[in-house]
Amino acid sequence: MPPLDAAAPAVEVRGLVREFKGVIRAVDGLDLELSAGEIYGFLGPNGAGKTTLVRILTTLLRPTSGYARVAGFDVVSEADRVRRSIGVALQEAAIDPLMTGRELLRMQGALHGLRGAEAKRRASGLLERVGLTDAADRRVGGYSGGMRRRLDLALALVHRPDVLFLDEPTTGLDPTSRAALWREVRALNDEGTTVFLTTQYLEEAEQLADRVGIIAAGRLEAEGTPDALKARVGEPRLIVTIDDPADAGDAREALATLGEIEAADPAAPCRLVLLTGGGKEAIPPAIRALDARSVAVELVEVESPTLDDVFAAVTGSRLEGASKPEATAA
Amino acid sequence: MSAGAPAAPGVLPVIGVLWRRSLNEVARVRGALLPATIAPVVFLLGMSGQFARLTGLEGFPTDSYLSWIVPLSCLQAAGFAGAATGANLARDIEQGWFDRLLVSPVPRPVLVAGPILGAITRCLVPTSVVLLVGFALGAELTGGVLGLLLLYLAATAFCAVAGLWGVLLALIFRTQQAGPLMQQGVFVAVFLSTAYTPQALLQGWLEGAARYNPVTYVLELGRQATVSGIEPSLAHTWPGLAALAGLLLLFGALALLRLRRMGG
Amino acid sequence: MSALAREGRVVTALGRRALSVQFRRAQLLMPTFVLPLMLLAVIASGTSAAEDLPGFPDVDSYLSFVLPGTIIQGALLAGLTSGIALASDIESGFFDRLLAAPVRRVSLVLGRLAGTLGLSVLQTAFFLLVALLFGARYPGGAVGLVGTLALAAVTAVGVGGIAAAIALRTGSLSLMQSIFPFIFVLLFTAPAFFPRELLDPVLADLAVYNPLTYVVEAARGLLAGAAELGSPLAGFGSALALAAATIALAVLALAERLRKA
Repeated sequence: MPPLDAAAPAVEVRGLVREFKGVIRAVDGLDLELSAGEIYGFLGPNGAGKTTLVRILTTLLRPTSGYARVAGFDVVSEADRVRRSIGVALQEAAIDPLMTGRELLRMQGALHGLRGAEAKRRASGLLERVGLTDAADRRVGGYSGGMRRRLDLALALVHRPDVLFLDEPTTGLDPTSRAALWREVRALNDEGTTVFLTTQYLEEAEQLADRVGIIAAGRLEAEGTPDALKARVGEPRLIVTIDDPADAGDAREALATLGEIEAADPAAPCRLVLLTGGGKEAIPPAIRALDARSVAVELVEVESPTLDDVFAAVTGSRLEGASKPEATAA
Repeated sequence: MSAGAPAAPGVLPVIGVLWRRSLNEVARVRGALLPATIAPVVFLLGMSGQFARLTGLEGFPTDSYLSWIVPLSCLQAAGFAGAATGANLARDIEQGWFDRLLVSPVPRPVLVAGPILGAITRCLVPTSVVLLVGFALGAELTGGVLGLLLLYLAATAFCAVAGLWGVLLALIFRTQQAGPLMQQGVFVAVFLSTAYTPQALLQGWLEGAARYNPVTYVLELGRQATVSGIEPSLAHTWPGLAALAGLLLLFGALALLRLRRMGG
Repeated sequence: MSALAREGRVVTALGRRALSVQFRRAQLLMPTFVLPLMLLAVIASGTSAAEDLPGFPDVDSYLSFVLPGTIIQGALLAGLTSGIALASDIESGFFDRLLAAPVRRVSLVLGRLAGTLGLSVLQTAFFLLVALLFGARYPGGAVGLVGTLALAAVTAVGVGGIAAAIALRTGSLSLMQSIFPFIFVLLFTAPAFFPRELLDPVLADLAVYNPLTYVVEAARGLLAGAAELGSPLAGFGSALALAAATIALAVLALAERLRKA
């Protein structure tokens, strides 16, 4: 589907800097390359520069220095051609409350050069795709938050863009709407659309992105697939909870054959932690070893570093609030 | 190039779509045009009632102060309708709608043309209401059909000027709080002129201000419709046309320059 | 006695808050402080030839003659602005917070109007000062100035009362803002800028029933030190009667609102 030369990057950024008022560097020397057909997730807290970067890549803002190319075109000197190749759904679902969903889609079509019958067909097709056919002829002012985001996504797709930019697409949505949007993004990607999304939700980055970039204070601090990033930070651990504290000694011997065990904690005698040994690959041998000594097992869990751990390791602070176990990466 | 989309959007369809959207403001919001229509009518009646006796002064080209004031109220109505367009754009910018238009491959001047057309269409309502009320109360149509056409021309062109002024402020300040400033600009432009008295009877600083204010000539252009002492003629028309052309060029250019600088 | 003193403090506090919010945003200041002066400038310069009209009273300065119209316009705007601020408080939910406090209902209304009073005093003083700088003369002296300030303030409260009543009854900010043109109806059906005798006959007839007529004329008389231009007694009487009536309306509207809530 992508008419782009499949070898050319969908998005290419070199030394990108954006200053405000000559002082604040919202984007501070960024280098980035997206391959055609991938989903790239930009993860970072508020104020990290995500939105500024998106606005530069979508030609709404000009860089102070450095350059960026989207779909093969320079965002400054070839802005018009960039605009024809990208679909954009920004943070504020930019919709006009007085218009109906269908009218908005047809207007969007007109803005991209679709005329008359074709614009109508496209509108109906997209409405069905995002599940808004029933609400299509109601004024958008009455749509729920989730409906607005879906319409926003549909509007971004009217002209079949090569690259889709989504700025925090599920912020403020309930879990059902969020899951629906993720499904849709994956489907689009399967059809060949390159997706560039920014998010402050770890789960979103992990679930959707082929590759994740961690951004803080305008710089790209780390980049890679979610698994690769997590591996950089630490190994997964196996945690076994046994029924009877009296079996603790046997259990420790059993597991010691598989790898290093964390020192026993007198306050939690039933909890054993295998620090090395490969996480989930260790489950079957662990259970066999424990079974061989007739140790009754209540629970076996694998605890992996999370992207939050990665984030903390890379930037020095956590992305998501509390509720993360203090078991930081090794 | 993306499959399925032609090379570039046609200018006319886009203007049409944006024009229709700007009309939604009044077509889909109940009573939206009421304040914009009532205010000029109130001023028409009030001002002509307060200063009715001014026509007794030597050098007043008409006996009917109402007839003198009608073109002023038309300009006022049209000007505020134009300023409202600027306020709408400011809101669109503030709420992110304008971003949607900016990332589309539509040439930026076209993005402005649609709302301006909407303003001109909208201003026809309060302007016509002012005229109807005025004539119902006895204002004189001394300039005939030609005069009336010239008055509408003055009003709609002035509306476009006010609209461009509003658009310019919206692009500079990017917030709805600039709305009152747009209105005040129109207010100052309209009233620092031969609004209440003819040039000959003005004194002091206002005399000079009115002489240099382009809107004075636009007003005189419109007064050919209802003021007996101002006959429809080229002499009364061309200064107003020149003023309008100049203002349209000035504010149009400033607005476009500002548009181009967006995102810098 | 101490209960009264306490309510007095509440009213003052509310009034002070109402006033400070007004000044916090410059764009709110323009309509109430600058716009009336712009109109004054245009009218004073543009129509000054009117002095030569037969039937126009003998005045030292035309500016001083038309100034009371601006002062009354200011009072009208101050009152309306207060009503708009109240509607804004209602829409934002702040008013509910005030209602939850152990404050007497009347004090809530009076507090808002105390703010109006303060605003009007500042506004009128500003107008008088600016006009002075541009050549206005006040033969009525200090008495005339103070009297005019008081008159304008009471009138502002009177208008504020009606505005508050409407705000409380409708709770709609956009409705309040669209009342703006009707303010001018009240202004124009009074001899705001022209003497009553020289107004359009229809307006002159209507002016008799408009309390603002007597207020404007009284202000004119006070500033010029010439009671024949307007009786201070009639002016204060009208203003006080208006204020009393509209405060009552506002309190009733509040009671109605609470009953429905």
